[in-house]
Amino acid sequence: MDIIDIKGLKKNYALGSTTVHALRGVDLTIAKGDFMSIIGPSGSGKTTLLNVIGCIDNATEGSVKVSGREITKLNDREITSMRLHHIGFIFQTFNLIPVLDTLENVEFPLLLMRKLSKQDIRKRAEKLIEEVGLREYIKHRPAELSGGQRQRVAIARALVTNPDIVLADEPTANLDSVTGEQILNLMKEMNRIENTTFIFSTHDANVLKYARSVVKIRDGLIVKEA
Amino acid sequence: MNLIIKIAWRNIMRHRGKSLVIGVILFVGALLMTVGNGVISGMDQGMQENIINGFTGDIVLVPEKQESDEVFIDMMGKTIEQINDFKKIDSVLKTIPELRAWVPIGKNGAMVLNEEGGSPGFTYLIGVDFKRYRKVFPNTMKAVEGKLLSPGEAGVLVPTGARKQMFEVSNIWFVPEGCEADTSQMFPEAKAMWQNLLAKDNIVFMGMGADNTSTDIRAGVKGIVKYNALNQLWGNFALVDIESYRTCQGYISAQDRATLVLSDDEKQLLDGDETDLDNLFSIDAGETVVNSEHHNDLDQPGEDAIVSGKEQNQTDLDVGTYNLVLVRLENHSNLDAKVSIVNKHLKAAGTGVRAVTWKKAIGTIGSMAVLIRMALIMFVGFLFFVAIIIIVNTLSMAALERTSEIGMMRAVGARKGFISTMFFGETALLSFFFGGLGIIAGYLIVKMLAICKFTSENDMVQLLYGGDLFHPFLSGWDIIISIILLSIVTLIAVIYPMLVARSITPLDAIARE
Repeated sequence: MDIIDIKGLKKNYALGSTTVHALRGVDLTIAKGDFMSIIGPSGSGKTTLLNVIGCIDNATEGSVKVSGREITKLNDREITSMRLHHIGFIFQTFNLIPVLDTLENVEFPLLLMRKLSKQDIRKRAEKLIEEVGLREYIKHRPAELSGGQRQRVAIARALVTNPDIVLADEPTANLDSVTGEQILNLMKEMNRIENTTFIFSTHDANVLKYARSVVKIRDGLIVKEA
Repeated sequence: MNLIIKIAWRNIMRHRGKSLVIGVILFVGALLMTVGNGVISGMDQGMQENIINGFTGDIVLVPEKQESDEVFIDMMGKTIEQINDFKKIDSVLKTIPELRAWVPIGKNGAMVLNEEGGSPGFTYLIGVDFKRYRKVFPNTMKAVEGKLLSPGEAGVLVPTGARKQMFEVSNIWFVPEGCEADTSQMFPEAKAMWQNLLAKDNIVFMGMGADNTSTDIRAGVKGIVKYNALNQLWGNFALVDIESYRTCQGYISAQDRATLVLSDDEKQLLDGDETDLDNLFSIDAGETVVNSEHHNDLDQPGEDAIVSGKEQNQTDLDVGTYNLVLVRLENHSNLDAKVSIVNKHLKAAGTGVRAVTWKKAIGTIGSMAVLIRMALIMFVGFLFFVAIIIIVNTLSMAALERTSEIGMMRAVGARKGFISTMFFGETALLSFFFGGLGIIAGYLIVKMLAICKFTSENDMVQLLYGGDLFHPFLSGWDIIISIILLSIVTLIAVIYPMLVARSITPLDAIARE
């Protein structure tokens, strides 16, 4: 079953008087439970593609279905709800709310959802924190954590709402190689445990060995799927 | 909501410097507003009490024919109509339990003639039976030179303000009979020309009645007086004995009534509307009879009722003409309701007068506190305007600095409403904490000022104090108004930063990274 179905996706940016064609007509389907990597050089359109899939940016043209829902026609409220209920994010650097500790950061999306009781929220957050190996850092604020630990918190937060997809834009870019590997192993482990679809972008060839499928993008077009 | 408060509070603590700047502004604004309100409330109450207790009473009865209720200081110089049947009014007032005391007075303007040929002056004259006046308004004045009027004594009491005004116009320095000019009581201009100063112990007044029937009178100056409170405000009203006043204004005096006894028709004719000329030329009009036998009907004079060498008593005085009746209540509450009650009684009895509140009677001066309050509100409003600009700027900068954080929140599912509430929460917490501190500090300062019991004899300071004692106080309303104003400032200050924060998208955050 395809969790993402993209047809003829184009994205243009205005840059001064010129128009940048970031995506020139992308067709892509991603199966549920996949662990996919999008690779390509800088400026190839990896981040733009992730942003459109993640309802962070809108498409100029084309169709994007996430969990069977056409996201290009949603209003701001619906888009926000989509992000909250169906998508998890792991960003390169801007990751956590600085004034909240690890537990509170992980609980944050669940508190926004207002579906579970306080006890259930706490239980779910603690479970994920344990799974990412940060039990002893549960009361630490982001400033008191290392880069790798912060990304672990981000992974736990991305997964806490049981999203259909987790999008990670170069999640290891700012980490040393050892920590980067740990993070990718953790993501893969979470993909296995939670059966959540992971899509991550990278331009690091070493990261590719973790991916179940790989999409290569260049100049706004998909040039290879494997 | 807990989450928002938690994030808001921690953000305040995280950005202590900015929070402190905003907090100090809110604190100072709330403090100034609270203290200012306390001072004005004290002034307002002081003025009310001093004006009611010292000059006007709670209710003023004015003739129905009088167009304006503003009978004390009429800028247009209109004369006050006559009350010719005070006894009837008196009997009605006696039936109303809410009333404590009342005194009829004459009140109109008079020219101060300059016998040396210089410019004439002007003053307001208040004609009273001084003994009765003092019973209703005790301890309101003291004689700084000479003495107060003895019961039934004819003469004039000149307040310091009126003497100054008369001097400025006519260069005459009035001194009480039998007294030397006291240079210690002179203001600098008078003292400077003391050697050439013309000092007089009597004043020639010419009444300024609308019908030009006034008479010149020469009144001996018995004392130069100073009101214990609000001398600046009331110091232009010279007090004269009622019979001299009536003569001056061309009214029927009690003495006239005693010597001229008329039939009912004639009396009606005399007291009637002057415009009803038909009555003047009717057949009955020629039948005026002076009934000298009625002299015997006069009450025997009291021991202390001597006017211009002729003995009189209270009953005699009340048959003459007055202009106003000043009424004091048992308590000041529900004034408008009590005025309505009095009016019902007066109308039912056909007294020809209506009751108005002291505030209406005194006009704009009674609203001085309101004017000063408006000035304070404008000052605090300006302060808050500046505060709003600083707060808006600081919060907007804070919102932009937090683009990554806000963008990330939006990315993980926070709605714009959440971001708005979070920003509002931060400002509201600052406002609540620092503004609240400002109000509490202001309240304590007002209490301390009240405990200090500052007094002043300076006229201008007394106007500010609302009397001789500075007694600021805060009512519940004052505090509620402070809280409302603070809330409005918070709301206005947070709107723009909230819009800035709301407009931040996850994409902005990514772009910034």
